[in-house]
Amino acid sequence: MSNDWKNEVSKCSKCGKCHTVCPVFLETHDESAVARGRISLAEALKDKQIGYTEKLRDYVYSCKKCMRCRKVCPSDVDYEKIISALLRGVAENMGIPLLPKIIFRYILPRRILFDTLLKVSSKIQRFIPMKKRGQMRHLPLLFMGKRWIPTLAGKTALQKFRKTRKVENPRMRVGLFTGCLINYIYVDIAEAVVDVLNKMGIEVVIPQRQLCCGTPSSTMGDVKSSKRLAEENRKVFESLELDAIVSACATCTKSIKNDYMHILGPSWKNMSDKIYDISEFIDKFIGDMPGVKPIGEKVTYHDPCHLLWVRDISEEPRNILKKSSRFVDMDMADACCGGGGIFTIIHYDLTLKMLERKVDSIQRSGADTVATNCPGCVMQIADGLAGRNSNIKTTHSIQILQEALKNGETKK
Amino acid sequence: MVMFKRTTREDTKLLKVVNELLRVLGKEKVLSGIEDRLCYSYDGTKQKALPDIVIRPNTTSDVSITLKVANKYEIPICARGAGTGLSGGAVPLQGGIVFDLKGMNKILSICPEDFIATVEPGVVTKHLQDEVAKHGLFYPPDPSSAAFSTIGGNVAECAGGITGLKYGVTRDYILALEIVLPDGSIINTGRKTLRSVTGYDLTRLFIGSEGTLGIFTKITVKLIPKPEKIDTLAAFFCERDNAIDAADLVIENNIVPRTLEFMDQMSISAVRGYGGVTLDEDVKALLLIDIDGTGENIKHDLSVVESACKKKNALRVKVAETSKEREAIWAVRRSISPALYNIAPHKINEDVCVPRSRIKELLQKVDQLNDKREIYVANFGHIGDGNVHVNIMFKDEPGQEEIAEKIVHNIMVEVIKLGGTISGEHGIGNKKSQFMDLEILPKELSIMKKLKDFFDPKGIMNPGKLFPSSA
Repeated sequence: MSNDWKNEVSKCSKCGKCHTVCPVFLETHDESAVARGRISLAEALKDKQIGYTEKLRDYVYSCKKCMRCRKVCPSDVDYEKIISALLRGVAENMGIPLLPKIIFRYILPRRILFDTLLKVSSKIQRFIPMKKRGQMRHLPLLFMGKRWIPTLAGKTALQKFRKTRKVENPRMRVGLFTGCLINYIYVDIAEAVVDVLNKMGIEVVIPQRQLCCGTPSSTMGDVKSSKRLAEENRKVFESLELDAIVSACATCTKSIKNDYMHILGPSWKNMSDKIYDISEFIDKFIGDMPGVKPIGEKVTYHDPCHLLWVRDISEEPRNILKKSSRFVDMDMADACCGGGGIFTIIHYDLTLKMLERKVDSIQRSGADTVATNCPGCVMQIADGLAGRNSNIKTTHSIQILQEALKNGETKK
Repeated sequence: MVMFKRTTREDTKLLKVVNELLRVLGKEKVLSGIEDRLCYSYDGTKQKALPDIVIRPNTTSDVSITLKVANKYEIPICARGAGTGLSGGAVPLQGGIVFDLKGMNKILSICPEDFIATVEPGVVTKHLQDEVAKHGLFYPPDPSSAAFSTIGGNVAECAGGITGLKYGVTRDYILALEIVLPDGSIINTGRKTLRSVTGYDLTRLFIGSEGTLGIFTKITVKLIPKPEKIDTLAAFFCERDNAIDAADLVIENNIVPRTLEFMDQMSISAVRGYGGVTLDEDVKALLLIDIDGTGENIKHDLSVVESACKKKNALRVKVAETSKEREAIWAVRRSISPALYNIAPHKINEDVCVPRSRIKELLQKVDQLNDKREIYVANFGHIGDGNVHVNIMFKDEPGQEEIAEKIVHNIMVEVIKLGGTISGEHGIGNKKSQFMDLEILPKELSIMKKLKDFFDPKGIMNPGKLFPSSA
C-alpha cells in the first residue's frame, strides 16, 4: 500500500487556513473536524502514538471530503491522500460495518441484483410513513437506513438507452457515465444529456455494463471494492472507441477522472484525459449553440463541491445557464449543500444546518429554478426546498439547456 | 513532541481535576481522550506538546470555574484561539489544560454611533471586520491570518499585519477587556469610550501578555470609518536599495500608504513560477502598495507614489486596473510563505523590527551574517514600519540547523544594536524567549516578573512562555 500520505502529513505547516473553508468546522469549531486536526491524528498514527479507536473513526468519518481544504492549502498538502489513508486504515483495522460491506462487495458489482434489491426496497418504502425528511445521496448507502430515497424511475437510464440513438454522420461519439443516482432516479438528466448532444451532432453511447463509480465504497475505506468497480468500468469503457466520456454527476466525474488515477495507476491517464463534466465538454467542444432560445425563467446555480473544488469548474455551467435562461447568481453559491454519503447519515443535524443555509441563499436570489451539476446536490436541495414548501424547482443545468433548445425549435 | 513522565501522584491529581471539571462543566466541555488532546497540541509553529485536558468554555463563568479548579490543583493553563500563532503561545509546553476559546465566538454588540464593538475572544478577526463593514466601519489590524485567527489570540499576541504603518496594530484598537484572573476572579479594564485616562492602563498590560496573566472573555474594540476605496500598485526594481529608497521617498512626500510591503530577491525567486506567478528575471526587489481613501485623494497619492518609484529607478510600475489585477498582485505576496518551502524544507520565521531609517543597515547585516551562503535567507514584509520578516531557510543536512540558529542569534544581536526589537508582531512565546534579555534589561525584566507573580502567584498561566528560562 502506498505510503505517500506520510509525506503529505509532514508537509502540513499547521497554519490553520483550512479553518476558513471547511464546511464541517465552520459549523462545529472542532479542531478534530478540520483537515489540520485530522492530519495531526494521522501523524500520531504514523508515529504509533495512537491506534484505531471509535473516536478516531468518528473524526475520520466526519470529513465531507469536499476537498476545499486541499484547494486553499498554502503548503500544497494533498489532503485527499491523507483522508483516503485514514479511511482505509479504519476499514482495515476496525472493519467496515457489515451492511455496507455486503453492498460494496456483492451487490454493486452485480447490476441485476442491485436493480432488483433497489426496486424491492423502494416498494417496501412506500408502506413506511415518511417520518424523517431527507434523501440519501449515495444510493448504495440506502440500505443503511435513516434517510429515504425519492421514487425510483420505472425504467432505469441504462434500460431506457439500451440502444444508442443514431445520429447522422456524428461529429463525435461520446460515452455517458451515468452514475447510480442518474441511472435509478434522475433518468431525465441522462435523457437531457443525450438530447442535447444528439442535437449538436454527437452520438451518445451508454455502455450497458457500467457500474457504480466506487465513491461510496472508498468513502468507507473499502479499497478492494472500489478497485473492483474501477477495473470493471475500465474494461467497459476501454473496449469502446469513444472520443470522450461525459458525466453529469460531479462526484462520478471526480471519481472516474481523478480517483481512478490513483486506483488504476498511470495507465488510466489516456482515458482520464478524455473524461469531462457535461458542461465542460459543451464548453470545450461545442461552444456556440445557434438553436438556443433562452427560457423566461430566472435560474440560479449551485456549485457542487466536487466540481468546483476538485475540478475548478464554475464558469462552464454558468455560461450554459446564461445562454439558456435569465441567469442570476446567488450569494454563497459555492457553499456546500450538506449532502454527501456517509456524512449525511452520521451527522444528519449538520447536514440540515448546511442545507438550511443553502436554501436561504437560493431563496434570496429570487430565482424560479436552481440548477446544479450533480444529481446528489439536486436531491439534497430539492429536499430542502420541499421542506419549506417552496415553489422553486431544482434541476440539472443540462436540463435547462435542453429546454432552451426546445424553446428555440418551437419559436422558429 | 514534548512528553512528560508523570508520577503516580500527579496522575491521581489529574484524575481528580478531570472529575471535578466534569462535574462542574459537564462532559460536552471537558475532553480528555488522546484523540482530542492531539488536536489541541500544536499551533502555527508546528511545535507540539500534549495537553492533559481540553476545556471548551462557552461563557465567562465556565472560564472562571475552570481557573479556580486549575489554581487549586496548580495545573498549567494554556489559552488557545485558532492555534495559528507563530511564536508557540498556544502550545501547552507543560501539559495541563488547553482552553479552546473558539466556542466563545459571539459578536456581542456593534455600536456604530460610538465606534465601538464588543466581542467574545473566539470571534475570527475577519468575521469582525466583515460585520462592522456592514455599518460602514473598519477594524484595521490585519494580520495575514485574519481570515482564521481569533481576536482573542490577536490581543494576546498583539498581532500586527499589513496595515500597521497607517493604522497601527491590535494594541491601538483595544479599549476595554473582561479578564478572568488565575484565581477565577473576573476583572474589567479600560472603558467603553474612545478615551479614558483613569488610573493605570491595565488594558495595555494585558495586550500582548501571551496568556501569562489572565484569560480574556470580552474584548471591546475601537472602530473607524471604512475607507471608501482601495487601489493597489506594484513597483519592480533591479536593486534592493532602490526599493527601500522609493519607500522612503513615498513617506517623505507625506503619503502614508495603507500598506507598504517589500520583497527581496530570494523571496521573489521563491514565488516565481509558484501558483502561476510570473515575474521577470531582472526583478530583484518589489514594493506592493495599497492606497486607500476617497477616489480623489487616491488618484493624487497614486501619482505621487508612481513618480517616487520611477525617480528611484523602478523598472516598471503597475497600477491594478481591476479587482482581479489587485488580487493577482496580492497573491504574489501571500504565496511567499508557502513558496519558501520550495527552497528548503525548514524555516525560521523572524519578525524583527527596526527604526524605519535603519532597514538598509539591517539587511546589509543579514547579508554579512550569511556571507558564506550556508543557508538561505529571504527578507520580506512591512517595510513601511521597519518590520522585516527575516526567514532563515535550511536543509535536512547535519549542522544546518545549528548554523541557522547561530545566524538567528546574531541577527537578534544586530537588531538590538540598531535600536530595534526582536519581535514586531508575532510575540515571544517559547520561540524567542531565549532572546528576551538581549532587549529587556535585568531591571525591567524583574519588574515584568513581579507583575507576573502578582497576577499569577502559582505560575499556572502559560508556563514556559515569554520569560527566558533563567528568569
